[in-house]
Amino acid sequence: MPVEQHEDPFEGRLGDALRQAGGTFEADGATLVAGGEARGRRLLRRRRAAVAGGVAGVALAGVGGALLVPWGGSGGEESVAADPTPRSSADATKSSTPVSGDDLLRTLKGLLPEGKFSGEDSRGTESESGPYARLVYDDGKGGGAIGISMDRIEPGSRQAREVTTCPAEELVPHDACSTSRLPDGSLLKLFQGYEYPDRRVDTKWWSAELVTPEGHHVSVSEWNAEAEKDAPITRPNPPLSTEQLKKVVTAEAWRTAVDAIPEDPKVPGSAASGPTASAPAAPPSADGAAIEKTLIGLLPKDVKVVSKGGQEAEYRFVVVDDGKGASFVQINVQPGMDEVFGSGLEILPDGTRVATRQGPGDDKGGKGTVMWTVDTVRPGSLRVVVSAFNTGAQSADATRDTPALTMAELKRIALSEKWEQLVPKG
Amino acid sequence: MRHVRADGYPEFAAARAGHLYRSACLLTGGDTHLAEDLVQETLGRLYVKWGRVSRVGNPAGYAQTVLTRTFLAHQRRRSSTERATDTFPDVADPRGPHTDAPLRLTLVEALAQLPAKDRAVVVLRYWEDRSIQETADAMNASSAAVRTRCVRALARLRELLGEDLGEYATP
Repeated sequence: MPVEQHEDPFEGRLGDALRQAGGTFEADGATLVAGGEARGRRLLRRRRAAVAGGVAGVALAGVGGALLVPWGGSGGEESVAADPTPRSSADATKSSTPVSGDDLLRTLKGLLPEGKFSGEDSRGTESESGPYARLVYDDGKGGGAIGISMDRIEPGSRQAREVTTCPAEELVPHDACSTSRLPDGSLLKLFQGYEYPDRRVDTKWWSAELVTPEGHHVSVSEWNAEAEKDAPITRPNPPLSTEQLKKVVTAEAWRTAVDAIPEDPKVPGSAASGPTASAPAAPPSADGAAIEKTLIGLLPKDVKVVSKGGQEAEYRFVVVDDGKGASFVQINVQPGMDEVFGSGLEILPDGTRVATRQGPGDDKGGKGTVMWTVDTVRPGSLRVVVSAFNTGAQSADATRDTPALTMAELKRIALSEKWEQLVPKG
Repeated sequence: MRHVRADGYPEFAAARAGHLYRSACLLTGGDTHLAEDLVQETLGRLYVKWGRVSRVGNPAGYAQTVLTRTFLAHQRRRSSTERATDTFPDVADPRGPHTDAPLRLTLVEALAQLPAKDRAVVVLRYWEDRSIQETADAMNASSAAVRTRCVRALARLRELLGEDLGEYATP
């Protein structure tokens, strides 16, 4: 037990005290479980609905002119706010029989070079949590875990972009990653990284992600160990080369399996679709790509963007260089926020509240880093926060005395009217 | 090798919800409403990727990691400039008087005064008994950063609660 490593008796006492204090919080387990499951279903439904809207929308547009695009007008962007109601008729456009877990395993084995298989496990397309197949494959040079899973995804959606976009080296260190468009229009990401981004154990995790224009999403992963985590490394690299991974992930059979995934029958309101039918449950969120574009447009002329990224909605970062070294700049654009500030608060004539902070950049622990922040909330509860660091990556040590942007420049960026245009009026 | 059944989600959720909730209560410094929200969000995420999660050797540990990250993401959405909370969150105990309540409020109040990430370090290290490295992994942080936070948080808790933690240390 790590407790035994504590040299300071205070730490042991703290553990006891925490257990005593934590133990007095009594959970309503049933409510938590039911609530968790409801959220999980909603997440799954959104995913599937996204594809149903994409595919069925095209198929049925000529039939009755039914409005099938729950994300109407937003450029194919999935809105987090809307809980889009999928068309039950989406299934009618596909006639597909269920694919069993054994079918998936058989297909997977058929696509792999000769070798020994063990540890097989799978789930078919009728399973509520989605189909997958996994096994341990040994080509004679050591066993490696291989897993494949598939689901629907809305082509062009934020989610589709996320799975096919290589992560920023600053956030997820990796050895190689590439995204390419295949002749059939599919997007393919080939990734060679590590199970633990900090490489505390050197388990390698290689993967291939495929998103077809029809919204099939197929994901294959492999490891140089017989399990994803907590298993010894059996070989220098996972068993399949990226070329072989590509062959597996692009096999036609997986798309058939995705087509066979049923819609959630419990989704209500399938008759009337479109924006009016979906009640927004949360404030609309700002699209990350638009944030990035706007941020770059607002940067001072004398800085160069050397890197950029961010996987989440409402958040983006860029790394800029003004000739004196890299500087990490991050931004959050968050509708529906109404944070009350502490000290240093300034209220502008239009009611916008502005707080500034120049402090240590201890966010992820680089040595000697500082973080300069301008935090703003407009009267309509739109929050824009910009921070700049005196280093090029959050985890890296300081490489310069101050960030590449001044406080005045950060303030000008945060207060730009352009941010208001990014957020749909809700 | 112990194998967790792929379709064992309901059993898993039922078995772990209580522990996750208690963790969440400590993480949030006693904000029980937010704690409930975080646990439901965590279970929802696990529900979606249960196929993959169930393959993990230690789904319970994984769930705790998801909870921690959900909490930190929530904090980041609320505020990118980290600071200790100025006000105590709502820690009213709906179950009414409880013998341990006064003690708990004191410790939880002290936790609530730590910055969110420091609190996450304390909860992972001393409630979950994770090593520095495991804590760093769960938080997507460097071990150096965790060590720094840990030292700072311990000093602050010492200051707030006293060296011997007297009444808390009862077995």
